[in-house]
Amino acid sequence: MDRGTKLSATLHAGLILWVALGDFFFASDVPPPIEAASVSLITDAELRGLEARAPLVENPDNQPKAAEPPPPVAPSDLPSDLPPDLPVAAEAQPLEAPVPTAPLAVDEQPILVPDSPVPPKPRPIDRVAAVPVDDKTDTPEIADTATPEVSDQAAPDAPIVPQDQPAASPQEAAPVIVTEAVDTQLDAPQLAPTASRRPQARPKTPAPDTPAPDAPTPDAPEVDAIAAALAEATQTPTDQTAGNGAAQDIPEGPPMSGSEVEGLRVAINKCWNVGQLSSEALRTVVTLRVQMSEAGKPTSVEMTNYEGGSEAAAQKAFEAGRRAVMRCAGANGYDLPAEKYGQWNVLNLIFDPEGMRLR
Amino acid sequence: MKKFHLIIAFLLTLIAVPAQAELTIRFTDGEIEPMPFAVPNFIDQGGAGELAQNIARVVASDLQGTGLFREVGAQAYISQVTSFDGPIAYADWQAINTQALITGAVQAGGGQIIVKFRVFDIFSGAQLGDGLQFAGTPATWRRMAHKVADAVYSRITGEGPYFDSRIVYVAESGPKNQRQKRLAVMDYDGANVQYLTDSASIVLAPRFSPSGDRILFTSYASGFPQIYLMDVGTLAIRSLGEQPGTMTFSPRFSPDGNRVAFALERDGNSDLYMLDLASGQLSQLTNSPSIETAPSFSPDGTQIVFESDRSGNQQIYIMSANGGEATRVSNGRGRYGTPVWSPRGDMIAFTKQNEGRFHIGVMMTNGGEERLLTSSFLDEGPTWAPNGRVIMFTRETAGAAGQAQLFSVDVTGRNLRQIVTEGPASDPAWSPLLP
Repeated sequence: MDRGTKLSATLHAGLILWVALGDFFFASDVPPPIEAASVSLITDAELRGLEARAPLVENPDNQPKAAEPPPPVAPSDLPSDLPPDLPVAAEAQPLEAPVPTAPLAVDEQPILVPDSPVPPKPRPIDRVAAVPVDDKTDTPEIADTATPEVSDQAAPDAPIVPQDQPAASPQEAAPVIVTEAVDTQLDAPQLAPTASRRPQARPKTPAPDTPAPDAPTPDAPEVDAIAAALAEATQTPTDQTAGNGAAQDIPEGPPMSGSEVEGLRVAINKCWNVGQLSSEALRTVVTLRVQMSEAGKPTSVEMTNYEGGSEAAAQKAFEAGRRAVMRCAGANGYDLPAEKYGQWNVLNLIFDPEGMRLR
Repeated sequence: MKKFHLIIAFLLTLIAVPAQAELTIRFTDGEIEPMPFAVPNFIDQGGAGELAQNIARVVASDLQGTGLFREVGAQAYISQVTSFDGPIAYADWQAINTQALITGAVQAGGGQIIVKFRVFDIFSGAQLGDGLQFAGTPATWRRMAHKVADAVYSRITGEGPYFDSRIVYVAESGPKNQRQKRLAVMDYDGANVQYLTDSASIVLAPRFSPSGDRILFTSYASGFPQIYLMDVGTLAIRSLGEQPGTMTFSPRFSPDGNRVAFALERDGNSDLYMLDLASGQLSQLTNSPSIETAPSFSPDGTQIVFESDRSGNQQIYIMSANGGEATRVSNGRGRYGTPVWSPRGDMIAFTKQNEGRFHIGVMMTNGGEERLLTSSFLDEGPTWAPNGRVIMFTRETAGAAGQAQLFSVDVTGRNLRQIVTEGPASDPAWSPLLP
């Protein structure tokens, strides 16, 4: 153990001993004095008098109104030894700083700069380009016929195959340095969005007029099988949604949260009245398939399955379930997240009155 | 290479087809509350007069009396039904939370009335079933109203009907220590009371035949309890199973109406017997030193449930309709009696006495799932409605001024209601549905 370590250990041990035993050896026997503040007791009537004489803050229109104040106390009822009136604020003080709210877009959404019909105004500085760039010189030429590696013959004119060029902005060159501060003082139009981008309105439902691709013929090239599979794969959802009467571009969104599903369950459950059902219907479990509109209103309800009872009992159980779905939708529909419409455009509702039997 | 492309195509198909998961929600606990319904006055389509309104009122009363429905008063109506064939303003009825709407029309003329009706599920915006109509005489307008209510009730609940039925019971009068009793019949709701016997002798425990045209009862006309058979149409009475030196009581028809099971007391011992009404042949079903009484057939006629104290305490047993070994089905505390098999065959109603209280209860035919529906100073003598959903019984209040009244209760234990009669009443027996 080196010297430094020994010194550190000694100092730490001393510190621990001082913390542990210092209070025992150095504590004073005299308790610290208790600071006392003199107070005066007031009666309830005095308190009401103080409240009545306290300055009232005007309630702005945009502030919630306070509860009705107690009736004012007559001056004769006030005690004579009240403190002087508190100073009255010259102006009404807001209780809280107002919460900034972003302006809600009504129809037009703020758009990004690249989509603006007005391009940014370039800097009004003379640009000095060294040599104009010739696109053709940079474009590689691909000849259909091979040419000898070394030839004194001029190469035949080869067709130029257009290729996509990277969308790089032309390099700017200027004799002086222009700072960003100077640049912002230019009279270019202000194109930055003034508000955060909001979800755009859902597109209208297009007519399901996408023609089905022709089935590949048996003697089609092999690669057509892949194309056909891809076409079929991309065709299927269109057909499904069209058959369901839903939009082609149904926003799937993230999965429904547990609270959202539970909210829908509670909303329907409170209208599920089984008091009229027969004993047999109470033993019948029915499954309802409900088509929902984007407004959250059921558009069709059908029974897809039942078990545990006769068909007649299932019909009554189905009617009770349908009544619940339709009744609690109300005029405004169920409160469901529009961005997740693809998650709830079709509902499978299982009505199992197991908890209601023989109650 | 070709195989490779086909495999790729197959895999792409599997991957690319979206498995659109549908949101599935399960409901297990609903609400139990009366369904709001509306019965606007039926349309008078000629000659009906007040009948149209009266029939609508009886229909509403029947439905409301079940406890399963709640009528929306006419003062809440937004739109009026002025035509039987007119369109239904569903939005108006939805606005006042009406879930079922019953519209009807009455036409009278030539000594006949025609009643027709429709039922609408308001929130589904659809008619429930087809419209129906009944024809009858003006004197039977209440029965026609009951039939309309039966149809509505069955369409909404899925239960069998029971409004168009009657009750035979013992109408009582006079002081408690000198009570006079006579047989009477009435509609299920207490209307149209008719007395079948005078008060010259005490009568007990009347029972309808399965066809409703005969009544079995016990009378003290001979000085001893004896069972009798009455023809409801002619009120003709004849005694059954008369045996010298015996007392017979507690009779009950078999489901086919051809046999009668009853209790016969001889030398202080009571056993069950079966009487064939056509041949008069008598057969003994039980032979025990204990007291057996109150037999009741299962709906299929193969079994009989009865009460016996063979275990030392009054309990409920089931045996074959031909007699033989009996199985005890009641196992709870207290004494069980007057068992009655449900028309559905799934339950047995009974009277239970325990800790100084009387109860009407039900249990499964194996004795399980016993539930007590009522509790009072004296509840006894349950009888099932034709649909097996409602039970009527006698409730007697305590004290010198106490008297017997008829009550009904839903098999769930809800909707306990008194059947209003002219005076004290006891021993109800429900008829089958009227033809």
